[in-house]
Amino acid sequence: MSITNKITVKRAEIAVAVILALCSIALMIKSAENRITWNAEENMGAGFLPFYLSLGMLICTILTIIKFVLKRSPQSKDDTPFIDAVAFKFIAVTIISLVVLVLAIGYLGIYFSLIFFLAFYLRYFSEKSVAFITIFAITTPILTFLFFEWMLKIPLPQGISEPLFYPVYDFMYGGFSFAVKMIFIILTVVLPTALVFLTTRFIK
Amino acid sequence: METIGFLLDGIFTSLQWFNLALLIFGCLIGLFVGAMPGLGSVNGVAILIPITFIIPPTAAIIFLAAVYYGAMYGGAISSVMLGIPGASTAVATVFDGRPLAVKGEAMTALTAAAVGSFVGGTVSVILFTLFAPPLAEVALRFNAPETFALMVMAFATFVGLGGDDVPKTIFSILIGLALSTIGLDLITGKPRLIFFNIPGFLHGINFLVLAIGIYGIGEMLWTLEETKGKVQMSKLSVNMKEVGRAFGALKKTIMAMNIGSFLGFFVGILPAAGATPASLMSYGITKQLSKNSKEFGSGVPAGVVAPECANNSASTGSMLPMLTLGIPGSPTTAILLGGMILWGLTPGPLLFTQEPEFVWGLIGSLYIANFFTLVLNIALIPAFLMVLRIPFAILAPVIFVLCVTGGYAPTQSLHDVWLMLLFGFAGYILRKLDYPVAPAVLSIVLGPLAEKALRQSLILSDGSMGIFFDISEKPIAAVIMYIAIVLLIMPAFGPLYRRFFKKKQTA
Repeated sequence: MSITNKITVKRAEIAVAVILALCSIALMIKSAENRITWNAEENMGAGFLPFYLSLGMLICTILTIIKFVLKRSPQSKDDTPFIDAVAFKFIAVTIISLVVLVLAIGYLGIYFSLIFFLAFYLRYFSEKSVAFITIFAITTPILTFLFFEWMLKIPLPQGISEPLFYPVYDFMYGGFSFAVKMIFIILTVVLPTALVFLTTRFIK
Repeated sequence: METIGFLLDGIFTSLQWFNLALLIFGCLIGLFVGAMPGLGSVNGVAILIPITFIIPPTAAIIFLAAVYYGAMYGGAISSVMLGIPGASTAVATVFDGRPLAVKGEAMTALTAAAVGSFVGGTVSVILFTLFAPPLAEVALRFNAPETFALMVMAFATFVGLGGDDVPKTIFSILIGLALSTIGLDLITGKPRLIFFNIPGFLHGINFLVLAIGIYGIGEMLWTLEETKGKVQMSKLSVNMKEVGRAFGALKKTIMAMNIGSFLGFFVGILPAAGATPASLMSYGITKQLSKNSKEFGSGVPAGVVAPECANNSASTGSMLPMLTLGIPGSPTTAILLGGMILWGLTPGPLLFTQEPEFVWGLIGSLYIANFFTLVLNIALIPAFLMVLRIPFAILAPVIFVLCVTGGYAPTQSLHDVWLMLLFGFAGYILRKLDYPVAPAVLSIVLGPLAEKALRQSLILSDGSMGIFFDISEKPIAAVIMYIAIVLLIMPAFGPLYRRFFKKKQTA
């Protein structure tokens, strides 16, 4: 019996309810670091709202647990697997690769991390050719860069790869003529986009 | 008369080239987002909001409203062609749209959907124009107690009318509110709930982090599970000659259009409802009232028109309380409302007097967007069919890239990206166990506003909660509060009622 069969909807329901109850208690304790009292003389303490909101959350999770014990909720009677094995692989790989992506962003910077993320993800899940994946994985970060850094002027994290971008910034904000910048955009945006478009049509 | 002047100004605002370009672009994105299975208006708006920070608020709202609008049209495309609703708002469209497509009349279904959407959109925009100014005028007299009561009612509608498990719904509302209290307390200035002393929590949790997490990452995980990375489109021929024939078939759907447009609008106004229940209700009622109700489900155009009319109408309807009262009518408008706060506007009736260009620009743009989306929708059907062939395994990473960059951009901190991943994963698990997620998004947006209104009210009343229940002093607040209480206890009477009714039947 595989692990995905062991985790039934029933088990997931009660496990999640207990975890949420514990989280609610933790929130209550955390809220109590501030004053949680409130009466007519004093203003509302900073911890008052979070404390009673998390108390409410705790009551709701206890009700969910009671409904589970009394078998009143549909989940409490459901012995089917919470997730089937094929879908589990999809979800697990996706979540792990996203976590690795965000870890890598802090170190490598977003643009290079994206190349690796896209290359891995497409190679793993799609049946596209290496040529397609390479073009796709390189074009997407370039488009992201131009969109955020050039159009929106929002810098994205670059980690250790930051020095590599200095020449690009010099170019972007330097005194180059409009025509030079346009040629640059055509080379970096229009051409790759066209390439991706063509490859989606002709390369599998 | 004054309204017509404002409306014309608004239409001219939305026809300025920059706004018009964004509007058409928004409609296109909306159609695309709506057509993709797994993505709906709320996902599109949540993922795209970070990129609207650099454009003026009027242009931003016109763009996002067009996305919202386009998604309502686009949802029908995959409902008909794939038999999978493109968005939850188009679930009811599958019932008759899919059988029509299987019969080889896909074009009839798509045209009926587009025209239905257009009619619903137009009727609702006219209703909107008529209702908004007087409602805003009434709302101008609202103070903190009335505002707080309204927000309580918004939360209560989820419990009373949401139809989900009650403890789970209340949990979702409370966790959203609790998350919104993280950060500095505005009144005492004390830091609250700074977990593990991570400085990232000091600026609070931006609603966008939760919205992108749940509607971007969480939704993608959900769709990956459903589709296993593959979406197969059945082959269907697209014949433009059919468009003409389809228009002919629409004569019989006038009743469906009426029901969809009016019902959709009023259901859309309710905070918990939004476009999904509106379209389902509209389908059900049209079916019941129709002379040939038995044919519903086997592919009748009226069965496509009714839900499509209703979801467009409801999407406009849900903007009415957002603009006039500052209370969103649907998850998508909750995110738009959060966006308005980020753009530096104060949602609520004052917008009508302080930012007429914004309000009327939005209303005007709805008229224009409605027209453009109809034209684009019908003209680009072949293009959307191509889009639907994009494998999900390629689309998903692109959406993830948008989520990660969108989660980072507003505050420029990786802390928010981590939170977004966490919320996405938690949202996915909770949704699988039937915890409704929309109330959490609504309450994280409304949380800070509700807290401010509550504390101001309590200062007014010297700390007495009585201010919300005293009919003689604050009649409006009290009435709204009592309605909220009725809504809150309503689900408790459901089982009693059913038990009583059953006994009567057996007796």
